[in-house]
Amino acid sequence: MTMGQLMALAILVLVAATLSGPRLPRVWLALTLAGTAALLGAALWALGGSAVWDWRSGFAVGGERLHFRLDAVSAWFLTLVAIVGGAGAVYTREYWPDHERPESAGRGRAWWSALVLCMGLVLQCANGLHFLMAWEAFALSAFFLITLERDRRETRAAGWLYLAASHAGTLGLFAFFSLLAARTGSWDLGPMKDHPELAPLFWVALFGFGVKAGLFPLHIWLPSAHANAPSQVSAIMSGVAIKMGLYGLVRFSGWLPLPAGAGWAVLALGAVSAVLGAAFTLAQSDLKRLLAYCSVENMGVILIGLGVGLLGAANGDTTWGRVAMAGALLHVWNHGLFKSLLFLAAGSVLHATGTREMSRLGGLWRAMPWTAGLFGFGAVAISALPPLNGFVSEWLVYLGLFDAAAGHVPVAVAIVPAAIALGVTGALALAAFVKAAAMVFLGAARTQNAAHAHECGWWMRAPMLTLAAACVGLALAPVVVWPFLRQPLGAWNPAWRGGEPPAPLAALGALQAALAALVAAAAGALWLRARANGLRRALTWDCGYAAPTTRMQYTSGSFAALAVGWFAWALRPERWLRWPRGPFPSRADHVERIPETVLERAIGPVSEVVMAASAWMRRRQQGRLPDYIFYLVAGLAAVGALVVFGGM
Amino acid sequence: MNSIIAFPARLAVWLLLAPLLPGIINKVKAWVAGRRGPPVLQLYYDLARLWRKGVVVSTLASPGFIAGPAVAWVAVLAAALLLPLGPLGASLSFRGDVILLLYLLALARFCTAWAALETGSAFEGMGAAREVSFAVLAEAAVVTAVLTLSLQSRSVSLSAMLVPAAGSGTLLLAVGLFTVLLAENCRVPFDDPNTHLELTMIHEVMVLDHSGPPLAAVLHGAAMKLLLFSVLLVQAVLPVGKLPPAAGAGALVAGVLVVTVAVGLVESLMARVAFRRVPLLLTTAFLLCVFALLIAWKGGAA
Repeated sequence: MTMGQLMALAILVLVAATLSGPRLPRVWLALTLAGTAALLGAALWALGGSAVWDWRSGFAVGGERLHFRLDAVSAWFLTLVAIVGGAGAVYTREYWPDHERPESAGRGRAWWSALVLCMGLVLQCANGLHFLMAWEAFALSAFFLITLERDRRETRAAGWLYLAASHAGTLGLFAFFSLLAARTGSWDLGPMKDHPELAPLFWVALFGFGVKAGLFPLHIWLPSAHANAPSQVSAIMSGVAIKMGLYGLVRFSGWLPLPAGAGWAVLALGAVSAVLGAAFTLAQSDLKRLLAYCSVENMGVILIGLGVGLLGAANGDTTWGRVAMAGALLHVWNHGLFKSLLFLAAGSVLHATGTREMSRLGGLWRAMPWTAGLFGFGAVAISALPPLNGFVSEWLVYLGLFDAAAGHVPVAVAIVPAAIALGVTGALALAAFVKAAAMVFLGAARTQNAAHAHECGWWMRAPMLTLAAACVGLALAPVVVWPFLRQPLGAWNPAWRGGEPPAPLAALGALQAALAALVAAAAGALWLRARANGLRRALTWDCGYAAPTTRMQYTSGSFAALAVGWFAWALRPERWLRWPRGPFPSRADHVERIPETVLERAIGPVSEVVMAASAWMRRRQQGRLPDYIFYLVAGLAAVGALVVFGGM
Repeated sequence: MNSIIAFPARLAVWLLLAPLLPGIINKVKAWVAGRRGPPVLQLYYDLARLWRKGVVVSTLASPGFIAGPAVAWVAVLAAALLLPLGPLGASLSFRGDVILLLYLLALARFCTAWAALETGSAFEGMGAAREVSFAVLAEAAVVTAVLTLSLQSRSVSLSAMLVPAAGSGTLLLAVGLFTVLLAENCRVPFDDPNTHLELTMIHEVMVLDHSGPPLAAVLHGAAMKLLLFSVLLVQAVLPVGKLPPAAGAGALVAGVLVVTVAVGLVESLMARVAFRRVPLLLTTAFLLCVFALLIAWKGGAA
């Protein structure tokens, strides 16, 4: 079997899965798993053998012949699509079944396979026109998945916001691809480094793909869409779909000539996204919204790596840029895996308790030990702590930054602040994930819902365990991943095609394995020692207070208050405070809310002005004849004036 | 030195000598206050006693409550083993080990905060919130300090970074790192290790519910962390690696003693700062490190 046959099989099977989705859940699951397995096979084939699958059809679609191309860069992202697409499909079986959601379960299955298929097509289209078509189909299937629960108002609002933002980005891509086609004379895509006049198009692509990737000021659609979508959809949106935007940036920064400021802009955008994304993450009180903002932060980390890679490539460097770019690419995989894991675990919590509000949860570890353990695992991984996989990729990005700084490169002016920003981001993300895990799973249950939670079944547990196992593999054996990782790196910049790992990955992997073993041994030894000495249970020591209640625990808001105060200039927290007054105070309350700052403070007012201007214009279009005669006369007068005075 | 002897020697330094530091600090404080104070070896006695004691665990706590201190202790020890120890050198040195060191300390912080939040106590929640929040500012300062050393030595590996002195920015870097040392190890003026049950504490309040062997792990880990930061500070400031082995060892020991005594003196002569001033103090430390970095940068360009 050839790679092309495998891809054709995957596409056919996924089309069949889409068709069987509404009525035949078992057939759908089998077909989706088969399709994602075929995608995974093709992707790993392309990554392993460095072969490029290039295929043109004999027939035309929309006036252009189909052109598919699967190279290492596409395959790198396709792997993620396949793994999360398969895992989420299994999860759906228990999380969104027909008997609980008779109205939307079938639609959900069909759109799921459609989404996986469309993302697969986006990654392979080497024709601008078809890229746009696949991109639009991908955006639409994601819209229908986000709005599965369309009887909820917030879901519909989130869906519309996503659709509007997504189309704003697509508008940029329309401009990008049509300008590209106009200047090169063909819709065909491929390496075009020899056309220096194409360089300014990078800025258009940065906007178009940046909206999809959720970079900081363009992320407005992301939190509400990811929070309100069903959890398996949040997982694939956050883990994979936003990576499509990143794919666009990596792909076209590798193919097109770049303007001089590209690396600087990407690096700055990455640093801003990382730090502010992390600050917003810490401030959230809704579990899924927190995870969504964390995606903004991680996109920032990846962009820092990409920016350093661009600067390195522009400076003809072969060390630091290469390391950072390797870190960015590896972080794409890592973030895709552990973010999907976290969203699936959050879905398990939502399924069991019916709320995403962290201040209504607590103490779930007893009822949901698997979910708690898996979420805790994901929290350590996403905080980039050793010995898990998040650390490996962030370490590579750090190494690129430090290498550049230590080498006193000319761009160190940008490198040094980015390294400090990455450090701050790491500390903020750690705070956010200690908070998320602890508020949901530790301590005492804050409400009855949380007290009566139940563990999820094996259909939900198995995909989470698979994702966690993939994370462990990447953490302990990064050197095994290197032969795969060097392919997209070499495809992106042929000068970096070399075979040597850019960093002591073997040493790091061995250390991580040793650390994992030591940690397990120490925890076991301490547990045995404690049990041998006698282990007694007692109430938590609350400084002698005799009647503690569960409401006295620290909440999500109080935990984050200190750091939120430092970032108040960006977060703009809103507070309503009513003090208890008088000798017999009747009531007092304190409400605190973190607004969607960019949306509510910037985009909102601007769109209100636009709406007001449009409403004013509409009043001038009432169909009254005298008005139109007046417009006509005024227009003619203006033209006349132009002719008379313009000629002088 | 032969690595078969050197590794146990390093391990012994970190495991056996670390608990001396809190003892010395307490002696200095007692001396300044005109008291006799507890014996220098008090922490060793405490650890031995705690190791034999039973454990009381909150009814709310999960197994993570015991695992937390264990993981944190391993993380601090692993970080310590990455740090070169004067003429003994580091156990393992590779490009980028300094980043692993920083993130191992972060792992310890994650686990301590996790274990604190296990109990559902308002006090421990408060301590954990403060610990992870102040770490944001401390992390900025530490990363800047490490970048300074990296720029200075043109290297990304600890054993090369710590060989030369920090150049003309040394004093700035020393003050910055010393401030971070005080903050990270929860000493006055950031925190008061002597008070218990007070609303203004950070670290002590996080470990209120620990007892027996887990508390021993917490206390020993804290002592190792103090030694780790002292050793880092001394080697960043003094060219220990350039001296002959005996002199280097002497300089390292003397430097750590000076740092320890300085911590004790600060603790005796200063009050804890008002809580809302803590970020200001940490930002100052960060700025000092930034200036040191700029000097190192200029020095490198010249």
